[in-house]
Amino acid sequence: MNRLILSCLAFATATLLTAQPSFEAPPPPTAPVQDAGQRHEAYLKRVDEVLDWRAGRIDITQPDKHLDMAAIAVLLTRGEHYDVCSQRVIEMMKDPGTGPFWMFPAVCVAYTGRDKLTPEAQKAIREAWRTTRQLRGDTENHWLMYYASLYLMAELYPNEPAETWYSGKSSAENLAESREYLVHWMDELTTSVGQGEYNPSHYIGEYAIPMLFMATWAKDPEMKIRGRMMLDWLFAELAANTLNGVLRGPNSRTDEGSVIERWNALSSYFSWLLFGNTPPTGGYGGWGVYFAPVAKNYTVPEVIYRIATDRSGDYVQRDRARTRRYWRYSDVLSPPVYKINYLRRDYAVGSIQGIVNDAIQGHAWDVTWAEPDPRGKHNTMFSLHPHSSMRAMQSQFATYPEAMITAVTFEGKPSYDSPDKVVGASSYEKIFQDLDTVIALYDIAPGTRFEHINGFFSKDLVNVTEDPSGWIFAQGGRTYLAYRPLAPYHWIPYLHYNGGWAKEKLPLGGRLLVSPHLKNGTIVQAASVDEFADFAAFQAAIKALPLKYSLEPKPTVTMKTLRGKQVTFTYGQTPVVDGTPLDYSKWKLFEGPYLNAEVGGRKMTITHGRLQRILDFNTLTITDHVAKSPTGPYQNRLNSGHAETGPCLAFS
Amino acid sequence: MPTSKTLLLVLLLAGAAQAAAPAYDFFICANINRNYVIGSKITTLNGVYQRTDAGEWRHIGYNDTGITAVAFDPRDHNVSYTTAMNGLWRTLDGGQHWRMCNSWDMTEGRDVAVDPNAPDHVYVALTDGVAVSTDRGQTLVRKENGLPARGKYTQAIKVDRTRAGRVLAACEIGIYLTEDGAQNWRQVLPTKETVNDVQQSPHDPKLWLAITQSAGAWISHDGGVTWQNLPGVPSDRALYNVTFDVTNPQRFAIGSWAKGVLTTEDGGKTWTDRNAGLPDGHCVWRVGVDPAGRLYASVVKETLYVSDDFGRTWKKDALEGSLVNSFLILPRAAK
Repeated sequence: MNRLILSCLAFATATLLTAQPSFEAPPPPTAPVQDAGQRHEAYLKRVDEVLDWRAGRIDITQPDKHLDMAAIAVLLTRGEHYDVCSQRVIEMMKDPGTGPFWMFPAVCVAYTGRDKLTPEAQKAIREAWRTTRQLRGDTENHWLMYYASLYLMAELYPNEPAETWYSGKSSAENLAESREYLVHWMDELTTSVGQGEYNPSHYIGEYAIPMLFMATWAKDPEMKIRGRMMLDWLFAELAANTLNGVLRGPNSRTDEGSVIERWNALSSYFSWLLFGNTPPTGGYGGWGVYFAPVAKNYTVPEVIYRIATDRSGDYVQRDRARTRRYWRYSDVLSPPVYKINYLRRDYAVGSIQGIVNDAIQGHAWDVTWAEPDPRGKHNTMFSLHPHSSMRAMQSQFATYPEAMITAVTFEGKPSYDSPDKVVGASSYEKIFQDLDTVIALYDIAPGTRFEHINGFFSKDLVNVTEDPSGWIFAQGGRTYLAYRPLAPYHWIPYLHYNGGWAKEKLPLGGRLLVSPHLKNGTIVQAASVDEFADFAAFQAAIKALPLKYSLEPKPTVTMKTLRGKQVTFTYGQTPVVDGTPLDYSKWKLFEGPYLNAEVGGRKMTITHGRLQRILDFNTLTITDHVAKSPTGPYQNRLNSGHAETGPCLAFS
Repeated sequence: MPTSKTLLLVLLLAGAAQAAAPAYDFFICANINRNYVIGSKITTLNGVYQRTDAGEWRHIGYNDTGITAVAFDPRDHNVSYTTAMNGLWRTLDGGQHWRMCNSWDMTEGRDVAVDPNAPDHVYVALTDGVAVSTDRGQTLVRKENGLPARGKYTQAIKVDRTRAGRVLAACEIGIYLTEDGAQNWRQVLPTKETVNDVQQSPHDPKLWLAITQSAGAWISHDGGVTWQNLPGVPSDRALYNVTFDVTNPQRFAIGSWAKGVLTTEDGGKTWTDRNAGLPDGHCVWRVGVDPAGRLYASVVKETLYVSDDFGRTWKKDALEGSLVNSFLILPRAAK
């Protein structure tokens, strides 16, 4: 009987402990917490929630089933079960993984356990770094994880000879190579010409976690401050591109699940953790757990927090990034990407101009609207050409033409060769955006796989109306939407992949507008419900806009936008706005009311109200300013108080 | 009727010829870990295998899913090089210890070749050009003077065994030749898309073959300086690799995902589809010929197939689920 009671108690306790309070609770308020102390306390509480949840899932009597490296790092951080952790580490290191997704968890355990694990366990970790060849991978996030991990391990075990490392290089050689790459990634790429994996919905963890490790554990003060500065850089970009904590606009690389359910991405976990303005994703994003053991060593600067939580005014953020590397079939290794995000209280509109950033996982444009509770909501509208191309694969991968298309469907990209897919980039799509107007034009070569475009119409839209004028009107949240297909179409049910590794499509509702015409286009206009007396007034305003378009010989649109801009956009030509051609070459690395940086500048200025932080990678300084009055184009309506830092504090 | 003396003489001559015939070693680079993605565990034994005299595949070296090619120092086969996703790896002790030769600025090695007349010199084909080591892989530098700024994706690289420093590189926009150890390159065959393989005949060092993604197969009779298209080989689909037969100078074979196995037994004049007996779809990743003249075909998502009659009939070999990235046959070394 006692055993039964104990079992019941244990089950109840386990259930209680494994609850994810913030995941299951109503959505948090999106208004900023004004008091710095309260804000920090809330942050620490969220960190503890992650640690408590992960620890609560562990049955310490079954370490082989319950103790993975995340669990071990959490227990070590909490000061629990050192002996069990040590024994489990020894077991796990007999069969180590290969590559950056094993390396950074191993680093997390090595550092959190360096004064807690037994000498035998620490020796087992060290031995794994001798015996098992680590694959560096082929993406930007792979390399960052790889080299940040190798750097930290080489610092942890300095002065050791080449034969003690899988790389066959000494600690000093590993350290030098890793440092060179990390500095190159920061100075020559990210802070000069932009990230290849910008606005990452999931991969933000693969950047933020290694940078937090660097900021926390690097012995070299230069690498330490670089890690800290890069965290600010990454989170500033996240803050400026979210609405109520949910990442908006185009993504360099994402997946089916988070293109449609915009909240359902690791980026939401970081918004929740840092800004507290959206629920965390289930299981705290999986990888996100690795941030938690060290999270208390980082506090997001107030200026970034303010940017994330202030949507009192509309703003445009124009940035420059770059594509994934084109090994072949391109005149440039990583062509520039020009991205734009227009954020308002009720919705956001974002795009890139149509270059193929990543053939498999790119997401080029959308309109997304705010939902009081974003969980389960498909709060987006967009169209795309569902391109499947051997040549595109060969451009960016070292592969033969036929092989890769079938291979990628096994590698967490199940939809690549599906005609009804909703993620992926096409060289046959060109995009123009001005504020909340998007024109996407398509000129698909005959014989291309596939010869149609897909438009996404969410289950969460209401009042979807196919108007005789050719416009399709709808409302999502507090946003009125107008979608104009430029060629005939039909509807098919939308089937949802709940994430990149999902194998089944789920009929969760929603439709795809399928337009099987090679020369094609989509126009989308968005507006807040507050701007019109009612839905009918919005429709009338849209229908009154002068609009001319033709599809031959090239798709062309000439129109006046809802915001009064006169636009002419022809497929493959420079868009003209109010008589002036757009000049993308003048775009800065970051340009907007909050984030500003010059191409090649290695310096970002982060501004909100009176607060300003400058991240300068030329001098490796973080400089905080508090202006006497708000600065910037939005000074009159931005909150000007609550400065925590004094004027011109510099850290180097 | 031959006399017994004549018979004895024939046997002696045959024996002498056999003794004079070069002995070869036969290697493959095989990926057996299907659907491996970065971060997952490697659950099978991948990398370099050697065909033993008993006809078995013996794994040597390191378990790496991404090995694309292997090359050996002709003086000592304990010194070898492999290209893989990380770049170039080298061992000096028969695979006991390995060193990643390149730094972060090189990646995804596609092919590697050792100069038999200057065995300290190693040439590496990269996704963005060519790198050379003159100290057995200890240091590796790019040597691309004459290669195009773009279009230098290099899938294969081969050293002319007749002269030190004479190398052919199969690139995105054609074949490039250097005759001074990669100090200078010049284009000898222009193509619109990638040249996927280039090989030198083991019988006639002036004879080279190349196959391409969209321009069919090419032959050179002057050491790779000029090239002529082989009209009997289709050019409507990509060809993946080409091989000679060390036992017969007239026999070549080509592997292709779409075309399967193509062979010629008359020095390239006529070509025959040899897919009967291979699995449907016959998605052939690579073909190779072993020292006994047996033809092998690595069929994607299947296994290694072997033919004793140069493709007329096929049977399954070992290494179920393997994907062979390269076959290598080379004279046996003293060490």
